Amino acid sequence: MSETKKTTEELIQNGRQIVQQWIVSENTPEAGRLDVSIKPEDIKPCVKALVETKWGYLSAITTLDHPEYTTAEGSTEKVILPDKGSIELLYHFCESAAVLTLRVMLPYENAKMDSICEIIPSATLYEREAIELIGVELVGTPTVDHLLLPDDWPANVYPLRKSFTGLDKVKGE
Amino acid sequence: MDNSSNPEKFIVNIGPQHPALKEPGHFEFTVDGEIVKNASARLGFVHRGMEKGCESRNYTQDLYLMERVCGICSHVHAMAFALGVEKLAGVQAPPRAQAIRELIGELERIHSHLLWLGVAAHEGGFDTLFMFSWRDRETVMDLLEKLTGNRVNYSANILGGVKIDINDEQKDALLKGMDYLEERTHHYMKVVTEDETFLGRTRNIGLMTADEARRLGAVGPTARASGLAYDVRVDSPYAGYPDFPVKLMVEPAGDLEARFVVRINELFESYRLVREIIEHMPTGDLAVRVPRRIPEGETFSRVEAPRGELVYYIKSNGTDMPERVKVRTPSLCNWASVLTQAVGHKLADMPMILAGIDPCFSCNDRMVTVNRGSNALDWSWEDLRRYGIEYYK
Repeated sequence: MSETKKTTEELIQNGRQIVQQWIVSENTPEAGRLDVSIKPEDIKPCVKALVETKWGYLSAITTLDHPEYTTAEGSTEKVILPDKGSIELLYHFCESAAVLTLRVMLPYENAKMDSICEIIPSATLYEREAIELIGVELVGTPTVDHLLLPDDWPANVYPLRKSFTGLDKVKGE
Repeated sequence: MDNSSNPEKFIVNIGPQHPALKEPGHFEFTVDGEIVKNASARLGFVHRGMEKGCESRNYTQDLYLMERVCGICSHVHAMAFALGVEKLAGVQAPPRAQAIRELIGELERIHSHLLWLGVAAHEGGFDTLFMFSWRDRETVMDLLEKLTGNRVNYSANILGGVKIDINDEQKDALLKGMDYLEERTHHYMKVVTEDETFLGRTRNIGLMTADEARRLGAVGPTARASGLAYDVRVDSPYAGYPDFPVKLMVEPAGDLEARFVVRINELFESYRLVREIIEHMPTGDLAVRVPRRIPEGETFSRVEAPRGELVYYIKSNGTDMPERVKVRTPSLCNWASVLTQAVGHKLADMPMILAGIDPCFSCNDRMVTVNRGSNALDWSWEDLRRYGIEYYK
């Protein structure tokens, strides 16, 4: 490869500078990675900055469910509190061996943020997966048709939420 | 016919049965005469609940589950998962294990690329090439069976290393197999780059420039055939790749022909790597111990599957079961490129363009198990486990 090839550390520094103004907090979970938390409303400018400076490519969007738990009296078993908790979206960008992750936290009651399809059109498949499996509203996404789940899947049932343990329980069968 | 005088759209459905490979996916092509004007996809026909399934099984069970995400590139899935869990546990598999992982990974790439060559030829109507390449593919399938006992789902990985070793007899068989395949592959290269009728179906068809490939998020041989130098084995070497590096294969043309040439060049590179690994196989243990409970953490494990970059994101919570496993398979990235390339081409080119990315449907579709009503054919996990134990008694 060319002599000017940057080291992973340089790439990470470079990526940090590009998104610097939107960073709320940051973390290095392992070598070659940088996780930055940003506000949900900053997702579009942040992704745009990365795309315009050609820093890497969107490799994946991971969704995490963070429910709130409680323990019933006289028991040690943890029980999920309904309707309380938050969803986290992780936008992983890869450039060579460096991975920059933009993390956005959304509470259940307002699980809504902007779609990035305007900037990266191919993100539509990742977004559709997130919308139907974890239950998040992405404003401006071109289509919200089911991508993976059957057409007769009940509304507002999201299989990747921790509270989902089976369809028969949802339907009361 | 001017489209404006006829505002009604004509939509051709392709799939869900066998749209390209013998796997399910549904495509809707809006056409004006023979020319495709718009394309959309619907996946999920082989959606099985694997990511969710991981959360209620321990790491060892998950390794076997993830190996079954795909029936073609099963080894890379298990390897990506094992590498991720090892990183979280703070252990590293011994060099011999890493070399064996790479060896099987490359054998798997050979079988996958030969499979694709046959499928793509079949889609173009070249059934002789399809049968020849699948006949030759049996060579590598037999070698994999000789090494691991299985033609698919080799189950070579365990958490912390591998469970198979390689002896001298197997080494000889591998070298002989590589010689035969290399000779055959020279013939295939000649066919795909010189045969006039073949070129008529591939040259300048499904063009994608480097910029488009980048914008559409293409990965693997599809991206490399458009001149993008992406290869996780080179960019971020894993397993045995730091010791046995791979040469990057790039073609600038961006058409279907380039996708053939890149994959065939990768076959030659895989033959070379297999020989090199056999010759310089490190000595030592096959595995290290991995604790049952994995400390809390998050990892991002990237490997190069035959179809492109495969990503595993694993979050652990200190127990013996993961908190979340996210899989992003290469076919999912490449769909966007197909749906865009399709526009402007003839409907008759669609099967080849679809097959051109080497799509893998069961990779795209994972996740939820749907149990409809009380069907006696619906087996629980426990039923299946019992059946397996009884069967192999």
